[in-house]
Amino acid sequence: MFKNFGYFIREAGTSLSRNRLLSIATISTIAICIFILGVALLLTLNANRFIDQLESDLEIMVFVDQELDEDETADLGDLLESTPGVQSVEFIPRDKALEGLEDKFRSEKYTLRDTVGKDNPLPDSFSVKAEQPHEVVKIAQEIEKMPGVYKVNYGKEMVERLFSVTKLVRIISMVLILLLAFAAVFLIATTIRLAVFSRRKEIYLMKLVGATDWFIRWPFFLEGIILGLVGSLIAIGLLVLAYGSLLQNIQNAIFFIPLIEDSKMLTGVYLSLLGTGAVLGVAGTWFSLNRFLDV
Amino acid sequence: MIVQFYNVSKTYPNGVKALNDVSFKLDQGEFVFLMGPSGAGKSTVIKLMLREEIPTRGQIFIESRSVVRMQKKEIPFFRRSMGVVFQDFKLLENKTVSENIAFAMRVVGAGNQEIRQRVPQVIKMVGLDGKNDRFPSQLSGGEQQRVGIARAIVNRPLILIADEPTGNLDIDTSMGIMELLYDINRAGTTVIMATHARELVKDSYKRVITLDQGRIISDNEAAIGDAI
Ligand SMILES: Nc1ncnc2c1ncn2[C@@H]1O[C@H](COP(=O)(O)OP(=O)(O)O)[C@@H](O)[C@H]1O
Ligand SMILES: [Mg+2]
Repeated sequence: MFKNFGYFIREAGTSLSRNRLLSIATISTIAICIFILGVALLLTLNANRFIDQLESDLEIMVFVDQELDEDETADLGDLLESTPGVQSVEFIPRDKALEGLEDKFRSEKYTLRDTVGKDNPLPDSFSVKAEQPHEVVKIAQEIEKMPGVYKVNYGKEMVERLFSVTKLVRIISMVLILLLAFAAVFLIATTIRLAVFSRRKEIYLMKLVGATDWFIRWPFFLEGIILGLVGSLIAIGLLVLAYGSLLQNIQNAIFFIPLIEDSKMLTGVYLSLLGTGAVLGVAGTWFSLNRFLDV
Repeated sequence: MIVQFYNVSKTYPNGVKALNDVSFKLDQGEFVFLMGPSGAGKSTVIKLMLREEIPTRGQIFIESRSVVRMQKKEIPFFRRSMGVVFQDFKLLENKTVSENIAFAMRVVGAGNQEIRQRVPQVIKMVGLDGKNDRFPSQLSGGEQQRVGIARAIVNRPLILIADEPTGNLDIDTSMGIMELLYDINRAGTTVIMATHARELVKDSYKRVITLDQGRIISDNEAAIGDAI
């Protein structure tokens, strides 16, 4: 195998350039397939991480009516604390809330305080954590009815919507990927079939001279793998560019969604896409050789 | 005995009975013509020897190995003891003379150095010196067949099998090819050549097995023995 590697590569290359148009069509299909797979993968990974983060600090924000004085606010705090199912209650005075917001905008050139001036528009609030995440809705509804409560916020709805959106994305991309993978495998098989056909004299000679089955098969597998790898490399190149510019340009605008920047994880994603391309190539070649190469 | 056919019959799937109870033996170093009109079954004998086809009945041994019972994975290695020459040359048009010959070495795993050394030798042997880098389309029919023969002998087979090697050539060119085949035989290779051209066989003083409608109708094995 290794002694003949150069020969195999040359054979595969010649064959690919001989059926150039089909090779290009095949590579494009693989590239599109892998690209969509990559987008779906990145989307899912980011969404999952976002959901994980949201869930881990799923909290009920209870905004206090501005009319309430300090004692009444403290009473409300006690009431919240004594509500069944509540794990902890943290008081967030309006000044601290503003500082918290400022932290989030730290990278901005101007400070938030400059913008809002002396007039802090934020109310006092309590951050309430439930013992069980699934009780959040019930507890939040209870709190909403308490006197002195101006507004209750909790991320549940958002989490649920995100869940259903990612589920939809996953299903749609699964269907698309399956269809495209079928198309890719079919096109690879067709390319290989043509390659077998255009080299049938060579194959016949090889058999009569005493070439082993694998010696005859190898160039075709390499051809399939090359198609798969080139296609997925194009897709990965596009993904790297697209995701990179997403990180650079949009990260600031949607600061609340922490996009995955972990290069180890991203490399893993890209490598598995590359592997998928190679697997598609092998699968297509396998189908084709079993049907059209009688060695 | 390098080749043994015992009561071999071959019926193709479409019902054509190509060979009917054929038996013969070849000694190492022999030169034998397989004579007979078109459709007599000559190519079928050759395909059975190469294990392209398997007999419907009977046994075939090559170098004392049963061709019929051979396992599939043994076939490539078995075929390396034989070289094949075709009527239509079967050269690869996009490869030069050298590359066509090297091809046969490469597919059985020969190394580059071995190939570089052996190919020019064989080209010289078949009388194509200086034409190493020509493409088949730049050669005459006789020269193309010489390339075919070079490719067949480059791996030093024990048996050279030629199926109507002169079928596409005029008589003068054919005589040249015959001389080359005799030379190869003299160097020790067993040669079996199928042909329907009586004029090539007539004065050769070689063994002639004559087939007709799938049966051997004459084999001058004894006569040759007498002549020698
Ligand atoms: N693959 C095949 N399938 C069916 N019939 C075949 C096949 N090959 C040869 N035959 C038939 O077998 C007979 C002998 O053919 P062949 O061995 O090629 O004869 P020859 O080489 O002497 O001309 C012919 O009638 C031919 O039509
Ligand atoms: Mg014939």
